[in-house]
Amino acid sequence: MKKIVLSHQDVIHLAKLANLKLTDIEINNFSKQLSSILDYVNQLNEVNTDKVDETAATAGLTNILREDEVNSGQKIKSLDDLAVEKKDKRKYFKVKRIM
Amino acid sequence: MDLYNLTIRQLRQLITEKKLSPQELFAYYLDKIKKLNPRLNAYLTVLQEAKIDSSLAEKPFFGIPFSMKDTYNVKGMKTTAGSKILENYISPFDSTVYTKLKNAGALLIGKTNCDAFGHGGSTENSDFGPTKNPWNQDYVPGGSSGGSAAALAADLCSFSIGEDTGGSIRNPASFCSVVGLKVTYGLVSRYGCVAFASSLDTVGPMARNVEDLAAVLQVIAGNDPYDSTTSVQTVPDYSKSLQGKIDGLKMGVPREYFAAGVDTEVVAKIEKSIKVFEKLGVRTVPISLPLTKYAIAAYYLIAPSETSSNLGRYDGIRYGNNRDFFGAEAKRRIMLGTYTLSSGYYDAYYKKAIKVRTLIKRDFAEALSKVDFIIAPVNPTPPFKIGEKINDPLTMYLEDAFTVPVNLAGVPSLTLRAGFTKNNLPIGFQIIGKHFAEAKLLNIGYQYERNSGIETVLKPYE
Repeated sequence: MKKIVLSHQDVIHLAKLANLKLTDIEINNFSKQLSSILDYVNQLNEVNTDKVDETAATAGLTNILREDEVNSGQKIKSLDDLAVEKKDKRKYFKVKRIM
Repeated sequence: MDLYNLTIRQLRQLITEKKLSPQELFAYYLDKIKKLNPRLNAYLTVLQEAKIDSSLAEKPFFGIPFSMKDTYNVKGMKTTAGSKILENYISPFDSTVYTKLKNAGALLIGKTNCDAFGHGGSTENSDFGPTKNPWNQDYVPGGSSGGSAAALAADLCSFSIGEDTGGSIRNPASFCSVVGLKVTYGLVSRYGCVAFASSLDTVGPMARNVEDLAAVLQVIAGNDPYDSTTSVQTVPDYSKSLQGKIDGLKMGVPREYFAAGVDTEVVAKIEKSIKVFEKLGVRTVPISLPLTKYAIAAYYLIAPSETSSNLGRYDGIRYGNNRDFFGAEAKRRIMLGTYTLSSGYYDAYYKKAIKVRTLIKRDFAEALSKVDFIIAPVNPTPPFKIGEKINDPLTMYLEDAFTVPVNLAGVPSLTLRAGFTKNNLPIGFQIIGKHFAEAKLLNIGYQYERNSGIETVLKPYE
């Protein structure tokens, strides 16, 4: 079986998809490490999975529904608990500039 | 007073008889934490004061101090999941497991160290420094719930709540000579537990004896409307079933788990444990779990895929630091998962892995239709030195060979003590059962513990 090799370009592309910034050293290391891991997991191809169902979860449950009613126990009492930035004694969500 | 070998029931009795007050018990652990934690780094956050609610004085866990892996949200407290991403995150809500224990009267004393986001088997991937094994501080305590295991071994709390996705309760319990239970997926609510891999994560108790595991499980198990993956099955009485006799039970010994590549001392010690079971009238049955060798490959495709999705929420906007604060292992797993789920690779990797998962689940179902439980090592090696395996991620992943199959199948597993190596390092083993067979496993473990001859009075410090 052909050895899996993730090139530096592949790693840079993955990092972009995953919204991660990597240094050159990291790109180099990850390229080697991820390649060896993918090489290892490739042995799954030895297993015959024709006509085998997928198992995404083991609990055996299907859609658990509830009534569309407000649960007062889960209401957030104050946005103060959530917001992250303090400015002028008020609290804000701070996000990156878009334009 | 030396409280190390007292069970929760015995401690509770002392409180009832007013021979020990909740304040004194809390102070007992707090003093030890102040002395030992700087060396061990088992705790990330410690509560300096006990929040004793006297209206709970009749509750079964009134006054009993416990710790939780720092992946469990507790309102008003830091929850870091061992990561710098959440180093300043204050939880705005309580996890269900915390709520249940609080309502039973238990007192949280602190949050324990872990591999960041559960990614690891040694607690070396914590962004806040590794935890040291109390039996020998040059060695890892195991992971990812290493802080919890170390805290128990060093007598820094009476029980702990860990989390097991690929072995993270069993591995450190084994390496620190304590006991731990990986429950059936869906038995205990994950609401408020920082998610690693949502189809594999389980919430479970860790303690110094099996009786305590049963007592804690009684409180935390059960359906939770806030976690729709929890089972609706009735929770049995775990403590009641401990006393049952276990003679006549069939114990499966899977040949793949005792094959070449497993450390000979580990095998030798577990063979001694097998003899203990045989003396108790348990019958040994050789079995095979043929898909064992593919379990790590399946796990290290499924878990990173799920974690790449779960860790997408850390955008640094709504809470936490931005994604530059991820450690190397988190980044590795995110990228691996991104790759295996991406267009063009999804079928070959993720879909293939979840089909193999079905076969692994079948392996266990078939074996457990012929025997009552399965005995197996937890780690293929004894505890290793800090820094020994950290440079090659794949070498570290291979330590999980015997723990991940259990998570893939969703079945429960109890870690018990096998003894110590000639270098005085702990070795454990696991007993695996059918889905929701916790009562049976705890019964078997309890009987083993009382007959194993392994000194549970041993502790790493005087």
